[in-house]
Amino acid sequence: MKDKHITEILDNVSIAALSESEMNEVRAHVLDCVSCRAAYEAARVSAVVLKSRARTVIEPSPFFHTRVMAAWREQQAVENVPAIFRLWKSAKVLVSSMALTTAALAVLSFVVPSRAVAVDDQTASVYSAESVILDQGADEQMTYEQVLSTIYADEDEAR
Amino acid sequence: MKAYTQLGSFEGRGSLEGWLTRIATNTCLNMVRGAKRRPELTDSDLTDDEHSWLDQQSASDGGEQPSVENSLVATDLADRLLAVLSPEDQQALLMIDGEEASIKEVAEATGWSESKVKVRAFRARRKVREAMDKLLSYRNKRADSAAD
Repeated sequence: MKDKHITEILDNVSIAALSESEMNEVRAHVLDCVSCRAAYEAARVSAVVLKSRARTVIEPSPFFHTRVMAAWREQQAVENVPAIFRLWKSAKVLVSSMALTTAALAVLSFVVPSRAVAVDDQTASVYSAESVILDQGADEQMTYEQVLSTIYADEDEAR
Repeated sequence: MKAYTQLGSFEGRGSLEGWLTRIATNTCLNMVRGAKRRPELTDSDLTDDEHSWLDQQSASDGGEQPSVENSLVATDLADRLLAVLSPEDQQALLMIDGEEASIKEVAEATGWSESKVKVRAFRARRKVREAMDKLLSYRNKRADSAAD
């Protein structure tokens, strides 16, 4: 075992994770093998460097976890609402505007035209065929003789 | 921010931590991919603090608790060493050797197969060791020539 180079052992696991028997094997080998001694020294220093690097911890904000969980729960709550409510929530503006438009169209179609018809009926009654026939000549001007005869006829009756 | 905007894709089947880890992992990988990688770290690239730190490491057996200053120097040096690796290899190595995560945990966090994690960690460990080996040998040669 002493003749077998230990670089493969060093590359397989971290030097800190070597078992006692593996460490003994390494120590025994590096006493006689110069290249493996250099490899062992490099592996040892590398392990220290990597440990130091891993100890440098960047702490997140203490509220980060809380905020993420709150946002997630909020989203879950939205997803648990029945589909009809979610549909209503997203479409209520559209539906409301459609209802208003329909109501406005109904008012314009049924209420405003009936008033116009009523006015037309009144107008028609004034100028109906019957009244025109009955009142025929009413607007005609009386002649001067007719006025005089009407006045004097009244005076004669009075006498 | 990415997690917040992607909340809709979280189905709630796994843990929130796992989901956030996956997002953070992928975001970091993309950032590292975008950064320009240096081909190799040489002795002349090291700062005085890094030289001192390596001197201390060579003299010690690595058992002492490092000071805050030494940890910062080691962290900078680690970043330089890790720059020779692909982002995926960096991640596998840091999780396993740095954070002592198991192969299974890394596989779960990254979505890779366990064999892929093993291969990445092996390859990364070897590259970092070789880079460190070169660095130390430069230093030793320089020290020898200074002594002569």
